Amino acid sequence: MHNQMVIYTPPADQLSVIFGALADPTRRAILERLAAGEATVGELGAPFSMSQPAISKHLKVLETAGLVSRRRQGTANLSRLEPEALHEADDWLERYRAVWEERFERLDEVLDELQQEP
Amino acid sequence: MADIRVTAPAGTPFIEVEREFDAPRDLVYRAWTDPKLIVRWLGPRRLQMRIDYWELGEHGGSYRYIHSGEDGFEHAFHGSFHRTTADPYTLLQTFEYEGAPGYVSLDELRLVEAGGKTICHIRSVHQTVQARDAMVEAGMSEGMSDGFDKLDELLSGELAGAR
Repeated sequence: MHNQMVIYTPPADQLSVIFGALADPTRRAILERLAAGEATVGELGAPFSMSQPAISKHLKVLETAGLVSRRRQGTANLSRLEPEALHEADDWLERYRAVWEERFERLDEVLDELQQEP
Repeated sequence: MADIRVTAPAGTPFIEVEREFDAPRDLVYRAWTDPKLIVRWLGPRRLQMRIDYWELGEHGGSYRYIHSGEDGFEHAFHGSFHRTTADPYTLLQTFEYEGAPGYVSLDELRLVEAGGKTICHIRSVHQTVQARDAMVEAGMSEGMSDGFDKLDELLSGELAGAR
């Protein structure tokens, strides 16, 4: 059997930054909340017994990882989820790789046969 | 044994695939360019592959092939070949799935021989990063265009066939 290896080359160590951001349970909870829609710092902090500056600090980490972006609406600062960044941590190439895996296994068979021809 | 290395650098429209074959380069190149051989491996096992046309001359040519499933669904692909005698083990081709017309990638195949084995490098360049991501993700997220939904069916067929 063949071993498979899927390799990602995100921007200079962006992957470590993303994994670092995801390592914290509060930040994962924030991302879950944002998956339901944009939210203000106050709304994000509500479920936690945490100060707004503490929540803002977590948001900053998520922003650096590219997982969250912020925009101003009136006086409110709205955070939103940037799901694309999760691609880096995801196995989104898996299906694509599997297609090639099958092709190449068949190609191996064809090549074996060709090499056995007199 | 042979590892498949798949790379999709973030922020670029590239996908790269690398794999070693236990065969000399001439043979691998033949398997990639002879239509009688390519029908035996390029498609998923569950689908029948047939060539509509496959014309490859010294400087290039064109191709069209069709995968058909038991359900009668057909998926056709076409494109142009470019090549040069200066680099006889490199083949450039455009690739378009007819279910998603207008989404064309440029695929480069490069074969490097090393100690009787051949390393095959494939690089696909898509028109945009989004088009590349859609190609990779086809069907993994909902709400894709009809064309990509069909590609999803095709890819699921390929996956099921690989198991």
